[in-house]
Amino acid sequence: MSKRPSSGRKALSFLGANSVPIMFILIVGICIPLSGFSPAFLLNEIITRMGRNIFLILSLLIPIMAGMGLNFGMTLGAMAGEIALIFVSDWQIWGIPGIILAMILSIPISVVLGIMCGKILNASRGREMITSYIISFFTNGVYQLLVLYMMGSIIPIIHSSIKLPRGYGIRQTVGLLNMRQSLDNVLALKIGGVKIPIMTFIVIAVMCLVIIWFRRTKLGQDMRAVGQDMEVARDAGINVERTRIISIVISTVLAGFGMIIYLQNMGDMATYSAHSQIGMFCIAALLVGGASVDRASIGNVFLGVVLFHLMFILAPTAGAKITGDTMIGEYFRVFISYGVITVALIMYETKKRKEKAGMGQLLEAAQREEESAHA
Amino acid sequence: MRKTLFRVCTIVLLLVLAAVMLVIGRGHTIYFDNKNLEVDGQKYEAVRRINVNVNGEQVAKLSKKERGMATCMGQSFQFEIEVIREKNGPSEFLTFDLALPYNMDGVVVNLPAMMAGLPQDKWMSEFIPAPVVEEEEEELPTDEFDLGGDL
Repeated sequence: MSKRPSSGRKALSFLGANSVPIMFILIVGICIPLSGFSPAFLLNEIITRMGRNIFLILSLLIPIMAGMGLNFGMTLGAMAGEIALIFVSDWQIWGIPGIILAMILSIPISVVLGIMCGKILNASRGREMITSYIISFFTNGVYQLLVLYMMGSIIPIIHSSIKLPRGYGIRQTVGLLNMRQSLDNVLALKIGGVKIPIMTFIVIAVMCLVIIWFRRTKLGQDMRAVGQDMEVARDAGINVERTRIISIVISTVLAGFGMIIYLQNMGDMATYSAHSQIGMFCIAALLVGGASVDRASIGNVFLGVVLFHLMFILAPTAGAKITGDTMIGEYFRVFISYGVITVALIMYETKKRKEKAGMGQLLEAAQREEESAHA
Repeated sequence: MRKTLFRVCTIVLLLVLAAVMLVIGRGHTIYFDNKNLEVDGQKYEAVRRINVNVNGEQVAKLSKKERGMATCMGQSFQFEIEVIREKNGPSEFLTFDLALPYNMDGVVVNLPAMMAGLPQDKWMSEFIPAPVVEEEEEELPTDEFDLGGDL
């Protein structure tokens, strides 16, 4: 008969499994009183950042489900969203129609980039995260070539307000004033100075429901099977390669939508740098929420956004109060963001090694038992 | 077969939706001029004061030789003007429905000529912004995946 784990051991394993969010809750708990921000200000900031970022982070869940780890290639989707926004901005399509049109335009670009990324990741099985990270650098180069040299010369761009003075290439910043917060302002509520972007949250809620529904579909089940064991899934008749490519395509398309929601909230677009930071930020936020390389839930997304962004808001002020220098807080949050990704990767590798060792021990015991039975 | 049909329908639906968005989301800036205009030798003179209202909200108060502006989305634009021809004189309210040309970002409307009932092409013209001479500078994109800045 197997022994039940004691409550002390249970608590220890809970702490171990949730060490990152617990650490962040403690940091945030210390920083809130030090920062001196009012609860209304913090709530307002957090709600704005939730509306801005959650959709993007949700795009990371499906590749994790398919066992492809953290999709650093979501940057590709972000670039597709930006290209679509450049066109929409040039064609002067404003407001919600502009957002919808940008989303539609981003789909084919995201699909093409997603298929390319998925095929490369299939070829580099077991090293998906580093490969997707490098793909995003490579695609960033192609994006710059397209936006900096081809737009305005080969691809028609009419408006001088978004073109560089030399006549081709897109400016460093593209203004999205005519669609700024268009989605956020639909049905927006203001309660005690806190603006709640109801429509954005409805879109996020619908996306969450779609993800929950998707997990139960045949394709969703296939992805989970592939994520657990590719060989077993293949033996069960699942087309593993195709399933993995579909997961990356879905993630890329969703990242494109997420980037459009993000940029409509910001009201302008840093053409050459907006996408480059986004993958890292989203992955860091997801990990802060308690996700790991092989396991992530919608709850992790919400918790991660709240904790990670609270730290973003609090760290500079708290750092300034403690050390007298705002930059210390800035360094701290950068260090924490990279650190949390590193810790998650180490924890994942350690867990994998432990599981492998455990399997080896089980196999050895089974062999010994068999030998003794034969003797 | 069913799969192909579903895919084709999805693509067609997206294309239709995109076309609808292109029409209903097209943004225009409308410039209202209260300026003298000469059409075919006939002079249409600016009036003392014109107030322009869009959706019940005043967007411009125009004296002689002044220009006001409003923005609109879509291909039609309805607005109301309050015309005051003399000091302390009575107000005259007029409502207009404009069909906006798709290819024009900025549309200039000469109000005195429009009030005179001339055809649209006589009082509507495209707004062409004055060219701005900018210093050409090489804008180098960053290739760093850093975590600086805000979200």
